[in-house]
Amino acid sequence: MLRRTFLGLLGAAGVGAALGKSAHAAGNKQFAGHPGSCGVLFDATRCIGCRRCEAGCNKVNELPAPARPFDDLSVLDVKRRTDAKTYTVVNRYDKLPGAAGPVFRKNQCQHCLEPACASACFVRAFTKTEQGGVVWDGSVCVGCRYCMIACPFDIPTFEYDEPLTPRIMKCTLCQPLIITGKLAVPGCVSACPVEALVYGARADLLRIARERLRALPGRYRNHIYGEQEMGGTSWLYLSGVPFKAIGMREDLGIVPAPEMTSGALGAVPIIAGLWPVLLTGIYAVSKRKDKIAHEEKVMAVSEAVAKAQEKAEANLHRALAKAETEKKSAIEKEVKKALEEAAKAQTQEGE
Amino acid sequence: MVKGRPLLRWAGILLACASISSVCIEARGEGEAAKAPKSGRPDLIKINTLAAFGKLELPPVTFFHDKHTEVLLKEKKNCETCHAVKDSRLSLAYKGTETAKPAQLKDIYHASCIGCHNETAAAGKKTGPLDGFCRSCHDAAPQAAVRLGAGLDKVLHFRHVDAKSIVANPAGKDNCASCHHDYDKKAKKTFYAKGKEDTCRACHGAKPQNGVLSLGQASHQQCVLCHLDLANKGVKQTGPLLCAGCHSASGQTLVAKKNQAAVAKLPNQEVPRLRRGQPDAALITYNPKAESGKDVKPLLMNPVAFDHKAHEKYNNSCRVCHHAGIGSCDKCHTLSGSKKGKFVTFEQAMHLQSSQQSCIGCHAARQAAANCAGCHNRMDKSRRPDDATCQQCHRQLPEGIGARRAALFADPKQKSGVAEAMLKNRNMNPGTYAVGDIPDKVVIKTLSDKYEPVEMNHRGHVQSLMKGMQGNALAEYFHRDPGTICQGCHHHSPPAKQPPGCINCHGKQFAAKESNRPALQAAFHGQCMSCHKDMGLAKPAATACNECHQEKQQ
Repeated sequence: MLRRTFLGLLGAAGVGAALGKSAHAAGNKQFAGHPGSCGVLFDATRCIGCRRCEAGCNKVNELPAPARPFDDLSVLDVKRRTDAKTYTVVNRYDKLPGAAGPVFRKNQCQHCLEPACASACFVRAFTKTEQGGVVWDGSVCVGCRYCMIACPFDIPTFEYDEPLTPRIMKCTLCQPLIITGKLAVPGCVSACPVEALVYGARADLLRIARERLRALPGRYRNHIYGEQEMGGTSWLYLSGVPFKAIGMREDLGIVPAPEMTSGALGAVPIIAGLWPVLLTGIYAVSKRKDKIAHEEKVMAVSEAVAKAQEKAEANLHRALAKAETEKKSAIEKEVKKALEEAAKAQTQEGE
Repeated sequence: MVKGRPLLRWAGILLACASISSVCIEARGEGEAAKAPKSGRPDLIKINTLAAFGKLELPPVTFFHDKHTEVLLKEKKNCETCHAVKDSRLSLAYKGTETAKPAQLKDIYHASCIGCHNETAAAGKKTGPLDGFCRSCHDAAPQAAVRLGAGLDKVLHFRHVDAKSIVANPAGKDNCASCHHDYDKKAKKTFYAKGKEDTCRACHGAKPQNGVLSLGQASHQQCVLCHLDLANKGVKQTGPLLCAGCHSASGQTLVAKKNQAAVAKLPNQEVPRLRRGQPDAALITYNPKAESGKDVKPLLMNPVAFDHKAHEKYNNSCRVCHHAGIGSCDKCHTLSGSKKGKFVTFEQAMHLQSSQQSCIGCHAARQAAANCAGCHNRMDKSRRPDDATCQQCHRQLPEGIGARRAALFADPKQKSGVAEAMLKNRNMNPGTYAVGDIPDKVVIKTLSDKYEPVEMNHRGHVQSLMKGMQGNALAEYFHRDPGTICQGCHHHSPPAKQPPGCINCHGKQFAAKESNRPALQAAFHGQCMSCHKDMGLAKPAATACNECHQEKQQ
């Protein structure tokens, strides 16, 4: 390819990419959750670490029984995470400064308003439902596990011991059970004896959380975790100790995951769709130009050749004609001379 | 050479990166080091007298005062080795530096310090840095000085009042005049004014101002020099002479131990009241003349009769309340706020919960004690208190005295007389309903499905709470009404002998739409568990279900 052509392509691509980005930035779109969508408020100052929520979750979701029973609280001696057989875990945090005793924190899918798992999934197996839950559709999942890598909370898990039909396992906010009327509130929430978990519309939960912060400012950190984190989550948290101290990430920022990737992913259609057309077009144009130039050249050459030939022929003709006339005149001259000589000889003979 | 040029360029870039990063790393490291002191010496003094006159050539000198004092004592030398004596008082400044010109300062320090070190070295003794060891004194990265704040609390003050060795100033009969003084602006002299003793901080600020010494200068001149005088006179028990005596943890522990011993010797182990002529009772009210000088006519709350004498006992120093100086609060805290009072209004000065100097703020802090926390921790701190609560302090005045008249009493004795009369007829006894009226056992069965009903020792709870109040006048006074103690659990309904049951407000299912009100089960659990936790009761554990309710036999 010619240097000039290459630079032209580069410029075209740059303009394309820039257009895509600026259009996005000017969009000023902000998704504050589906109106009326539900969530859960967890209050770490209330949780007593009884693991009833784990038992409740296990029961309503018909998950396999754990190795150790739910009333065995020594399980809390080690920090656990969710796995393919456990949608939710409670962890205990001891000897935290500012806390009178151990602090407990329940972990499960946060049901982000704009989930990272859904944005990473290229078959759209994850859906943020209007009711609030983020649910997984096994019928389209290809098992790439991108969702597990995308999730900032390390929540989705994979059934590695299921060779034929492995599923992605995570908390569903009991959405399927609530929609079908089997449950009124998620299994964990109804099992909590101290209302460390309350279920309701996210807007109401935010109001309740603020009410608690207002009434007992000394009891709480003045922050509702999940109100803004990763663009907001359906699960909200209150705590009397720093959230970091109870194993919650404070480095996530408030930008939803899809927004972080949409710039790059938004360029994919341009690159995948437009670039081949553009490049092929430019290639075709330059190719055609070459071809026309070649044709013109050939034509010019043949024309020139024809002209030269014509000229040469004309010259030849002229030369031949000249030769003829010269020959004729020579003959005439010779004849004349011969005649003259003959006449001279005749006169001499006659004298 | 064609290949050499890019190579050179890369080397240059690398070098630039390395130098920038090394500078950055160093800068960061220094910041962290500065934050964490290497070790805390209270006697570290930074000598940077010359810094006031321009940029220093070398870092300030790091000087350890106690180290020098100890050596001098050992050598049987005295403070005059380094400090000049003027009018038979030791100067706090280094000898010769007080009157010296800036140009001479450096020479004075160098000649005196190094000179003394040289002499000691010549005598064959261990000594400090000599000539040429510039950076041994001019330490670029000195350790940080850690000086704990020192001050007089009630007991230490009493020990000074009581000390026989302190010679009373002829101006007064007692020891007060030895330290407390007022300043005569015309005569430019300090003098003792009986009955006007104030906290040092009332005049001596953090920095010297208009000829008034800073608190640091004043206290060192007053305290240390007095201790020194006593020591020179041969008194054995003098106050600390070394920096560490007041400003280190070990020194303060020693003082605390001596304080304890002094209190133990007192009758009833009670420190006698200060003798400043303060009233036994004060009528806290706002003088409407204070703000504008004119008799404006604001509507006034009923004044509060304040038991000044009792509060002296509860607190460790006058400064707990009189934070800027001894005097009436409305001097600075005017009704609408003034610059002098940092725009903290009179009302806020009395009621701000965030301040430890206000009545309510200090009382609220007391509620954090385990005996109180069970009920008070869960109470809404920011709601407006009900009228009855206001009237606990803002009580009815004796007949014939209106709030306005009381505020305008010219004679402070008249005011305190009214307050005293009000306090005298005050009921201080906590009380609740007759034992027979308090249900003995309460069976909670509203929710029993998996568990047997809970039998709660109701009367026992009430009695133990009442017992926990004993001897705490604050608690006793504010729990006089029989229904008050019940409100710990039976909250949000008017106090009554038979308060409404929990189910009246707490339904079976939490309703997020409605309010932040827990459902019945969580209301029970929340009330019991949080109270037990806040009162520091380890048993029963929140997760030991069977200790409160037995599992139902199927």
